[in-house]
Amino acid sequence: MSRDSAAPEVRIRDLTVVYNTPAGELPAVSHVSLTLTPGTITGVVGESGSGKSTLALSLLNAVQPPGRIAEGSVEIDGLGDVLRLDGEDLRRTRGRKVGYVFQAAQNSLNPLKTIGKQLLDLGRSHDVEDLRALVADAKALLSRMGLDGARVLDSHQHELSGGMRQRVGIMLALVLNAQVVVLDEPTTALDMITQATILRIIREVHEERALTTLVITHDVGAVAEVADDLAVMYGGRVVEHGPIAEVLGAPRHPYTQGLIRAIPRLSGDISLARALPGRPPTLGTLPAAGCVFRERCEKRMEICETVEPATATYDGRSVACHAAGRPAPVKRREYA
Amino acid sequence: MTKAVRERPRGAALARRVAGHVVRGLVMIWVVATISFVIIREIPGDPVQGMYESLLQKGMSPDQAERATAVLYGFLPTGSLWDQYVGYMGSLLHLDLGRSLSTPGVKVTSLIGSAAQWTVLPVLAGTLLSFLLGVTMGVYAAIKRSGKLGDLLALSGSLLHGIPVYVIGLLLVAIFTTLWPILPSGGPVDVAFVPGFNPGYIGSLIHHAVLPVVTYTLASYGGWILAMKSNVVAVLGDDFILAAELRGLKRGIVFRYLARNAILPLFTILALSIGMLFGGSIFIEEIFNYPGLGLLLVNSISTRDYALMGGTFLVITVGIVVANIVADLLYTAIDPRVRSGEAS
Repeated sequence: MSRDSAAPEVRIRDLTVVYNTPAGELPAVSHVSLTLTPGTITGVVGESGSGKSTLALSLLNAVQPPGRIAEGSVEIDGLGDVLRLDGEDLRRTRGRKVGYVFQAAQNSLNPLKTIGKQLLDLGRSHDVEDLRALVADAKALLSRMGLDGARVLDSHQHELSGGMRQRVGIMLALVLNAQVVVLDEPTTALDMITQATILRIIREVHEERALTTLVITHDVGAVAEVADDLAVMYGGRVVEHGPIAEVLGAPRHPYTQGLIRAIPRLSGDISLARALPGRPPTLGTLPAAGCVFRERCEKRMEICETVEPATATYDGRSVACHAAGRPAPVKRREYA
Repeated sequence: MTKAVRERPRGAALARRVAGHVVRGLVMIWVVATISFVIIREIPGDPVQGMYESLLQKGMSPDQAERATAVLYGFLPTGSLWDQYVGYMGSLLHLDLGRSLSTPGVKVTSLIGSAAQWTVLPVLAGTLLSFLLGVTMGVYAAIKRSGKLGDLLALSGSLLHGIPVYVIGLLLVAIFTTLWPILPSGGPVDVAFVPGFNPGYIGSLIHHAVLPVVTYTLASYGGWILAMKSNVVAVLGDDFILAAELRGLKRGIVFRYLARNAILPLFTILALSIGMLFGGSIFIEEIFNYPGLGLLLVNSISTRDYALMGGTFLVITVGIVVANIVADLLYTAIDPRVRSGEAS
């Protein structure tokens, strides 16, 4: 468990990822710039199809066909631009430098091999010389996460519960001492108690190992538990990004405001939770010009039809909205 | 949600599993034996009774005729059906299938024994060859599925899968014995050679086996390539393959994950198809005049040799039952999910 190197910074610049569809190449991620501060957990929230998983895969230059990274760069301290890596260099980066906890980590394991053998495959793939030490590290990590390491390593995937598999996924992402860790929907499909446990583990391990962590989720509640920063994605754009307390406490982008209003509270009237009107855009329904959110926006103005809002900074937080800079009260539209 | 890691069952569970299979297999063999007994007894024109009566007409005493018939069929022509059935089962337990009619006086078991070697080896060779070929090509067809090579491979699979085995056999005969006569058209071996372990005889055996084995291979190759292709494509879409790539596993290791998961369901079919081919060898052995079990069955039917017919049926059944057991044990050995008795 090395802490010798400081956590690296990750700079995503002007990243555009397009998907090849029958209607031509459509952008799933469009000119996204995002900086992950060293040693912090950044959460990315958004609806299905907002491009958050594509963004996560871009960090490992692993966008799957028919997707393609069209432009931009992902600079990681000590690695350079990940998007320029290929072949063996790219393979060695994955797993060793950038750990990835897979969406639905439930199914991220080979069903025919024990966890231990898959761990050894991982070690051999990355030329780990001392496999015994690797196994010892893995056991330590697993027991750190409340599991019986020896037993888990001797098990097949089907012998583990969903929460256990998720922890195995986290162990495999961390065991090679990756300094950047990407978790794609780490708590989806887990029950509440297990979710809370996994989130606590993520937070603890992150702090222990001085990592730079990116957590992708559609669950604002989950991300609020762990993240330092929050980026809100909509239609392939980061529409708001800043310290989580500020973004959640005083959202500036109308989409963020809508998202937060949509969270039902445990106490209080359920009818206070308002669903965001309209539907999330798909690749085909994204407007070509203007603001991508305008169809569902209550602060829609004339300029939104034609000009895509640039990202501007307001008290330490970046927002991409024409209305964000105008503190003037906006009349509320009523929805049934 | 959190459940303890299961203890993996060891020897005891395996023994129980094997025992279960053996018992089920024996029951199945018994059912088939009973059915073939009833069919032969109840067939219009009752062959056993007919034999008995024709012997009587030839001037045998009823006693003699009864004994002669009993020797031929392995059961008594007179007496209640039940008595005959008990007698038949009794001789089955002693592995006595009666004597052949068409080859008078020869035991059915020895006829089957000498025919089996001509079926087992070509069937095994053909099935394993087509399995290896089909599986390898299936992987290529899946990986290159968006290119021309993949299309071509899949097309070859569909085509061969669609052509009936006897058409393949006849085409091969036409091509390699008539148009371009480089291979013998029939028989298991050239009679000019002295049977035994000498190069001439062995060479002739192999020479004669080429066409039947190639026919077996081509006949099942289509099924393998199509099945393997769709399995590989399915596994390629599985999350754990992408996860393995994102963990930076070496290409060779990812490929092994892929191949092993894709090939797994095929092992069961492999064992089953070896069993089925004992019955399916009829066409091929007929075409190539290869004296195996299939040809034996065909000849026994055309000569109304009921003892031989029943015996051959029974042996083919045993082959299939054994193949079933082997298939399941094989699956148990290679799939950890089955091994621990869990379906997920």
